[in-house]
Amino acid sequence: MGPTAPVIDAGLSKYDPLGRILCFDRFDSTTHGWTELIGNYNGRGDLSTVDEHMRDFRPPQLSSCSFFDVGTHGTLSGNYALKLATRARRGHTATGIRRLTMAGRGLVRIEAYFAFKAEATVGRELPASVAWDGNRHPSEAQFGAFTVATDICADNGVRYHNVIRYQNTNLAGEMTQQWMYPVVPEPTPRDHQEGKFALPYAADFTAPDPDDWRYFDKPLELCVNEVPTKINWHYLRWDIDTRTRSNVELRLNDRVMDMRDVPVPVYPDRYSTLDNLLNFYFSVRTHADIRNFLFLDSVLISVDW
Amino acid sequence: MTMRSTMTAVLERAALVNDELATEPYELPWAQEARFFVQAHELTGTLELTTEISPDGLTWCPADVPQVRVETPGMTSWLVTGFGQWLRVRCRVSGDETPAARLRIYLVGKS
Repeated sequence: MGPTAPVIDAGLSKYDPLGRILCFDRFDSTTHGWTELIGNYNGRGDLSTVDEHMRDFRPPQLSSCSFFDVGTHGTLSGNYALKLATRARRGHTATGIRRLTMAGRGLVRIEAYFAFKAEATVGRELPASVAWDGNRHPSEAQFGAFTVATDICADNGVRYHNVIRYQNTNLAGEMTQQWMYPVVPEPTPRDHQEGKFALPYAADFTAPDPDDWRYFDKPLELCVNEVPTKINWHYLRWDIDTRTRSNVELRLNDRVMDMRDVPVPVYPDRYSTLDNLLNFYFSVRTHADIRNFLFLDSVLISVDW
Repeated sequence: MTMRSTMTAVLERAALVNDELATEPYELPWAQEARFFVQAHELTGTLELTTEISPDGLTWCPADVPQVRVETPGMTSWLVTGFGQWLRVRCRVSGDETPAARLRIYLVGKS
């Protein structure tokens, strides 16, 4: 027998929080602080000064997960999920970011129930590396990647991102189904101001050079369930340590991955106005000219301080 | 009494329209009412704004809302109710040799 589920809160019993819960977000009311990320802009509010690759990350939506074939699918916890939707353009990324600060240092755990899909194609077909055989479906190869990451800054401006990405396909659309991490920190608007880079629209904002990504752990097949209109909710649990600025462990359903050797790149220079910054983001990136969706049923963030 | 929920999405920030643009599908299944705000930062020609609805985010038809015509730069807004689930606005600019509109588009939903 497993642990006895507390009857008082069926929502919380499917999670495994650390001692102090900072937020438990179900999306039956609002977006609970998950908002669109945008790059920085000048003192006139001139959005043409936003970096080209950070100006169009799309607003999150509250979705009932409805589809052309079955109507409303619904979610794990209720009626609505937070939905991140890309444009139908290769390389485009949609984000949802949540902005906190740290009242201590130590273990931080983010948990979520999520699902991911490429948009259904109806009355037309797009190229795909997977053919329909009654079980597998081209749609599974039309989803690019989703990412969970932090943005943390403390202790006199030391800034870093913990990043995990599930790469479903590579940029050629071939199935890879592997977890990845970047070995460089995300290019920032200040880097751009200082002339260190200028990235085009739809560049990979987390780390734009594919050569700056590494795989970790073995390939992992997730439950995409055959067609683009069936949603199965997956459990993700990720631990990081803000005392040591490191990754600790990633769990995806029954796969547990030791991440202590997965590095967390720190910016070489220091940042202002970000003391005790503790941001989390989810993002979804399409690798083909088709919309990709990441659905979040609920998210829980907890700490041990 | 339960407090009502509201939510603002910025569908476009500075979209340049020389012919026609339909905004990305946006889901508001929880909202009883919604309001578009279209801010024409620049406008040459006439801008026609058609509200469209969809049951699946794939196939669209006009909503039961009059088309909005805009002749000068500035903000315009209209209310949409009883729309179902997905909303978008089709923006068409015409009437000049080189018609053009630079648009910021907000969609506000309220439960």
